[in-house]
Amino acid sequence: MANALDRRRQAVGLGFVTPTVLVILAILVYPVLQSFVLSVGNSEIDGSGGYRFVGLQHYAELMQTSRFWNSLKVTLIFTAFSIPLELMLGIGLAVLMNEHFHGKGLARLAVLFPWALPTALNTLMWRWMYNTDYGLFNAVALQTGLAEQPINWLGDQTLAMASMVTVSVWKTSSFMALIILAGLQSIPRELYEAGRMDGMTRWQEFRQITLPLLTGPILVALIIRSMDALRAFELPFNLTDGGPVSATESLSLYAYKVIFDFIDFNLGSAIVVIQFLVIFAMSLIYIFTLRKKD
Amino acid sequence: MQSRPRFGLYLLVGLSVVISFFPIVWLILTSVKTTGGIYAWPPQYIPNPFTLENYRKILFDSPELLLYVWNSFVVALGTTALCLGFGGLAGYALSRLRIRHAGVIMVAILAVSMFPPVSLLPSLFQNFLNFGLLNTYTGLILAHTGLFLPFTVWMLASYFATLPAEIEEAAKMDGMGTLRIFLSIVIPLSWPGFVATGLIVFIFSWNEFPLALVLMTQDAMRTAPVGISLYPGEYAFPWETISTATVIAIVPILVITAIFQKQIIGGLTAGSGK
Repeated sequence: MANALDRRRQAVGLGFVTPTVLVILAILVYPVLQSFVLSVGNSEIDGSGGYRFVGLQHYAELMQTSRFWNSLKVTLIFTAFSIPLELMLGIGLAVLMNEHFHGKGLARLAVLFPWALPTALNTLMWRWMYNTDYGLFNAVALQTGLAEQPINWLGDQTLAMASMVTVSVWKTSSFMALIILAGLQSIPRELYEAGRMDGMTRWQEFRQITLPLLTGPILVALIIRSMDALRAFELPFNLTDGGPVSATESLSLYAYKVIFDFIDFNLGSAIVVIQFLVIFAMSLIYIFTLRKKD
Repeated sequence: MQSRPRFGLYLLVGLSVVISFFPIVWLILTSVKTTGGIYAWPPQYIPNPFTLENYRKILFDSPELLLYVWNSFVVALGTTALCLGFGGLAGYALSRLRIRHAGVIMVAILAVSMFPPVSLLPSLFQNFLNFGLLNTYTGLILAHTGLFLPFTVWMLASYFATLPAEIEEAAKMDGMGTLRIFLSIVIPLSWPGFVATGLIVFIFSWNEFPLALVLMTQDAMRTAPVGISLYPGEYAFPWETISTATVIAIVPILVITAIFQKQIIGGLTAGSGK
């Protein structure tokens, strides 16, 4: 009897899970597997005609393509600069939002907005402000005398990267802050009272009580954001289209251009497979770190 | 803590608010300027003259921009409905029905959620082309559902896990079937979880870019972020139109975020705490 009931529950449970599993298999798992297959062969765009296995030929071609190495470098530089800045600002914002003050609801909302809006449109807003001739930044810089000449924010290779990092930091520091804030609010008040009795300064409190207890949330925020930064697409697409001279062309953008501008699905698949492996390695670290924490 | 100086605190809060808001404010200011005002020197910090001409033009002369917003609505609503439906069932089974390998399935779902969207593009484009799903609402809704189901399942599963088990057991004693328990007891009890998850999925779908760009190739089917980004200008970007269209496209998100900020923040922090 118990066995029959259990079998029934298993069957119903499996029925409940089936639609989700099917959609995930069709939209996420199968396409990734197909990308692997496409990356080691030659085929037509619509998959018609013969598929010819060519081994690692496309990967070998990529290894000799400087534009590929450039996009990998751009992606890593972008990640390496934006993540630490976002983390520092995120911690600062979280500590700030954890204080008691008037108008907190409004402040929290203001901080949430940049995250909630579409990256593509955020990027357009910034591109307009960066505009050399009519943008807000040059207007302010010229009128206050900070600059003698209009600054070409998106036309200079180094400046374009810095501009892109700025947009990313503006948009996502709030996300870091929210996750860290949740961690902050779970720290018992008594710890700070004890610290005060020991005559700790504010900074000592932060270093010795707050920061060690925030390791978990900070790690989670860092990993989620790093994965996001490693696959940045619409930010360079809308801000600079990868320019000037590929100075902001991320891996995702390069892959997109190879697939849909050069119509080379096989070479493009090789790029996305490499990108997938980079991010997959990070996901593994993520899962194993969480396992250890449990 | 009361005795510490408050001035510095308010200064920092004020600064964060200004930095978060000023690009949006500048965008809105741009949208209510005349074309001459937008390209004026010295720049106009206060629109002079103030005009709603750009909005009028979009409403009457460039209906395609409104069509983009409509497309976004259809896709985001459809995605939210499918995600909550499928994800609700799956989350319930995985957290409450003690099915075999539930833990493994949950970790697998988490793992696939980390696939970069661009790695799906070549294959999804090919398959959607062959199945006639390019440039259809069904196609993009399906793609977005796949993309955001892992998040939905995790959020809802963790919400169901907080429900007291006694109620379901009592219902089972009364001879209710699992599906009926789910529909008539679990869902009414967990609507806050559904609201928070649904809002976030709606925002995710509204904002999604790479798949919407590739799977909707016809101008009339584009979603707002894509359509506005690709809006053609003859010589340069027509900023008066772009800024106005952007304002229209972000208003729904601003309103949702403003009304439901508590639920959204709660959902986000719970979701990432896993």
